[in-house]
Amino acid sequence: MKNALSMYWKYCFLLLSLLIAAKAFSQNQPSDKKPEIKELNEVLVNGNSIEKRKKEESLNVETVNNSFIQRNLGGSLMQSLQKLPGVKTISIGSGGSKPLIRGLSFNQVIVVENGLKHEGQQWGADHGLEIDQYAVNRVEIIKGPSSFIYGSDAVGGAVNIKPLPLPSQNTFGGSVDLTGKSNNAQFGSSVNLFGRNENWFFDSRVTTMDYGDYRVPTDVVHVYSYAVPLYKNHLRNTAGRELDFHLSSGYSGEHFKSVFYFSNVHTKSGFFANAHGLEPRNVDLELHDKSSRDILMPYQQVNHLKVSNTTSFQLGNHAFETQIGFQNNFRREYSHYVNHGYMPPIYPKEMYAPQDLERQYDKDVWSFSAKDEFRIQNHQITVGSNLAFQQNEIGGWSFLIPAFTQFNAGLFAYDKIELNEKWFFNGAVRYDYGKIKMKSYYDWFQSPVSENNQTELEYLQRSQDLTKTFDSFTWSVGANYNPGKLSLKANLGSSFRMPIAKELASNGVNYHYFRFEKGNPNLDAERSYQLDLGMEWAAQNFSFQLTPFVNYFPNFIYLNPTSAHDIYYGAGNQVFEYEQSKVFRYGAELQTRYYFLKSLSAEIGAEYLYSEQKSGSKKGYTLPFSPPPSVLIGLNYEPQISFLKEPYFSVDYRFTAQQNNIVPPEKKTAESHVFNLAFGSKIKTGKQDISINIQIQNLFNTRYLNHTSFYRLIELPEAGRNIIVSMKIPFLISR
Amino acid sequence: MKKITFLTGVVVLAFATSCSSDNAEIDTEYPVIDISVANAFPIQCSTIERGKTFTFKATFNDNVALGSYSLDIHHNFDHHTHSTEVTSCEMDAVKKPLKPMLFINNYTIPNGVKSYEATAQITIPADVDPGDYHFMIRLADKEGWQTLKGLSIKIL
Repeated sequence: MKNALSMYWKYCFLLLSLLIAAKAFSQNQPSDKKPEIKELNEVLVNGNSIEKRKKEESLNVETVNNSFIQRNLGGSLMQSLQKLPGVKTISIGSGGSKPLIRGLSFNQVIVVENGLKHEGQQWGADHGLEIDQYAVNRVEIIKGPSSFIYGSDAVGGAVNIKPLPLPSQNTFGGSVDLTGKSNNAQFGSSVNLFGRNENWFFDSRVTTMDYGDYRVPTDVVHVYSYAVPLYKNHLRNTAGRELDFHLSSGYSGEHFKSVFYFSNVHTKSGFFANAHGLEPRNVDLELHDKSSRDILMPYQQVNHLKVSNTTSFQLGNHAFETQIGFQNNFRREYSHYVNHGYMPPIYPKEMYAPQDLERQYDKDVWSFSAKDEFRIQNHQITVGSNLAFQQNEIGGWSFLIPAFTQFNAGLFAYDKIELNEKWFFNGAVRYDYGKIKMKSYYDWFQSPVSENNQTELEYLQRSQDLTKTFDSFTWSVGANYNPGKLSLKANLGSSFRMPIAKELASNGVNYHYFRFEKGNPNLDAERSYQLDLGMEWAAQNFSFQLTPFVNYFPNFIYLNPTSAHDIYYGAGNQVFEYEQSKVFRYGAELQTRYYFLKSLSAEIGAEYLYSEQKSGSKKGYTLPFSPPPSVLIGLNYEPQISFLKEPYFSVDYRFTAQQNNIVPPEKKTAESHVFNLAFGSKIKTGKQDISINIQIQNLFNTRYLNHTSFYRLIELPEAGRNIIVSMKIPFLISR
Repeated sequence: MKKITFLTGVVVLAFATSCSSDNAEIDTEYPVIDISVANAFPIQCSTIERGKTFTFKATFNDNVALGSYSLDIHHNFDHHTHSTEVTSCEMDAVKKPLKPMLFINNYTIPNGVKSYEATAQITIPADVDPGDYHFMIRLADKEGWQTLKGLSIKIL
C-alpha cells in the first residue's frame, strides 16, 4: 500500500511539474499551422476558423482535419485520434474501436456524421464504430456534456464528423488513398471522385480494407487461468475486411443548398477464438492456424446504411436548416452453438435461427430535425427541434436484449452573445422527451423449475412487455474571455441520458466476458452536472492549453458485479446487474508546444482523470474503463527541402501510468512506455501534390497492456511493432 | 501577466488538492478456491460413478468476505477442454451427447465469512451418458470478484 501511495504521489508530482514547467503555448497541431487547403485549392476550412470557433465556444472543443488523421492513421477512426489528450478508445482488435472521452464511452458519447446522430449498437464493448475514416475530412470533439445540442446520450461528449467541403465550381477530379500495414498485413485503398458545375455537385468514395490476424509480442496468453498458445504471435482469428461506399450530391446556390448523403459501411471481422462463448475454450488449432487471413468463427458482420438530406436556406435575417435521415444497422454475430443452461445438447433441426447465428440486431432509425439561426443585435440565437423514431429487432439463438421501439423528441434554444471582441457568453436550454417500448421474450427451450419440491419444465420468460417514458430539462451557461494571446473559458452545464434497452431489460450472457447481465427496469434517466474550464496561451513560438473539469452524476448507470450466480441461462456464471450510484469525477488535459527553431518543435500532451463512486454497492470504487494518467512527449522537425513540400519527421514517446484504481472484474494494469516514429512529405507533381506518410508504431515491439482495451480482461497485450505506409494521390480531370 | 500567474496558481492548487484525495481502502483481491486440502473432492481427473451420490468438498478463502458459489457439471465429449489445472487427464474419444449429465446450482455462504469449508451433495442419475465431463466451481466474494476453477472429471 505504501508503494502504491508513493506511486500515486509520483504521478501527482509529474503532473504538477508539467504544469509549472510549461511556460507558454499554442494548441495548434502542426497541420493547423498553415491553412488547410482542401481539395482543389478551395479554402473552406482553415486554421483561423478553427481558432475562431474555439474562442467563441465555452465548451472544450478539439478540431482535427484529414491531414492529422493521415499522419496518425490507426486501424480505425478513433485509433487515429488517440493522440489528442482526453481522447482514448476501447479497441477491438486492429480494425475497430469506440470513442472513450474522458473515461466515458458507450451510450454516453455520441457520434454525429453529416449532422446525423450515428445509431449503431453502441452499448457493446466489442461493437466498433461503423465509420469510414477515409471519408472524414474534419472532426470536432467536444469533451464535455453536450446534451443541450444533441439530446440524450451526449452526457460525456460528442464526436462530430463534419460534412465534406463542397468541390470548387466547374471541376472534376478525385484522389486515391493507399495504405499498407505490416503488423496485420493490411491493405487498404480508398478512391474518391468528385465534380461540380456551377451549382450541382457530387462527391463519391469507395473504400476497401483487408487485414490478417494481428501480432502481439508474446506466444502465450492467459485467458483467466487458462493458457492459450499463439501461433507465430498471431492473435488467432482477428482478421477482417471492410467495404464502404459513399455518395453525396446536391445543389448549392447563393441562398439555397440541398445535399443528399448516402453511405454504406460493411465490415466482417473475427474475434479472438479462444475467448468467446461461455468459458475459455480450446479451438481447432490446425484449422485456425492454417491461414492468418481467414475469418472463422466466432466473427461479427455489420452493415451500416445511412441516407439523409440536409437543406439550408436563407430568409431575410434567418438561416433555416432541415434534415431528414434514415439509417439501418444490421449486426450479426456468428459462433458455434454451445448449449448452456438447459439448452438441448444438439441444436434442434427446426429452429427459427441458423445454427451458427448467435445474435442478430437489426435497427432502423428515422430522424427529422429543423433549426433556425438568426441575429438580434449582438445575440446569435438558434432554436430548433429533433425527432427520432427507432425500431429494433433481434434474432439468433441467444438472448441478451429484447426487441424494442423508441421515440425521442427534443426542443432547444441557444444564444451566443458577443459583448465585444473579447467577451462571449453562451446560454442554452433544452427539453427532451423519450419513450421506449420493450417486447416480451420467452426461452426457446425448457428449464426445470423447482417449487415446493415439485420440479416442472418451463419456458422461462427473459423479458416482459414494458413501456417507459422519460423527460428532461437540460441547460448550459458559459463565458469566453479573449484578451489577446490569452483566452479563458468557463462552462457549467447539465446533461442527461435516457436508459437504453440493454440497461432496462438485458437478461442473458455476455459471451466475451463470461458473465450474466441483468437489466433493471426501475432505472431513472441519468443526469450529469459539469464545470469545464479552459485556459489557452497562444504566441508565435509557444502555446499552452489547460482544460480542467469537475463532473458529478447523481445517478450514474453502472453494471454492478454481484456475488450471485445465474443457474439457468447463465449456467452458473456470475450475475452483473445494472444499478445507479452517485459518481464524482474530475480531471484535466494539458497540451503545450514550444518552437526551438522555426523547423524544430517539442510538444507535450498529458491527461489525468479520477472517478469515484460515492454511493451504492461499489462505493469507493472507480468506474470501469478508467484511463490511467498519461503523458505524450513529441519532437517534430519540419525542414525546408526544395523539392518537397511540408516534410516532417517526428518522434513520440507515450508514458502511461499504472492503473491501480479498478473495479471488479478489472485487473490492475502496469505502466507502459511506447515509442512511435512518423515521417512524411508532400511531393510536388504538377498542380497536385502527392502526400506520403510513414509511421512506425510501437517502435521497440514493447509488450504492454492497455487498460481500456476490450481484450484487457483476458490479458492480451497490445499489437507489436507496426509499420504503416499511406499515400494520397490527388488528380484533376478537368477544371 | 499577473492574472495568468494567479490563474496558474489556482489551477495548480486545484490539481494539488485533487491529487490528495481520501482514497479509502477498497477490496481488490480475488477469493481463493483451495482443493489441495486432504479430503477435497472432486480434484483434477477424479472419477464419479453413475447412480451414486458424492460430496463436493473444497475450502474457500477471501481477504474481506465471501459471497456465494456455483457448481456446474457439463459434458466435454467434444474436447473443448478449458481446465484451469496444469495436469491433463486421459480422455475418451470424441462422441455425440445423447443424454449428458447437466447440473447447475448455486449455494450461499454465511454473511461476513472469510474462510469457508464448502460441502454439497450431488447425485449422478443412473441413466446419463458416461464419459468426460467438466466440473466448474465459480466463487465470488461479496464485492463481486470472481475466481473460477475448471476440473476435468470422468463419469463411469
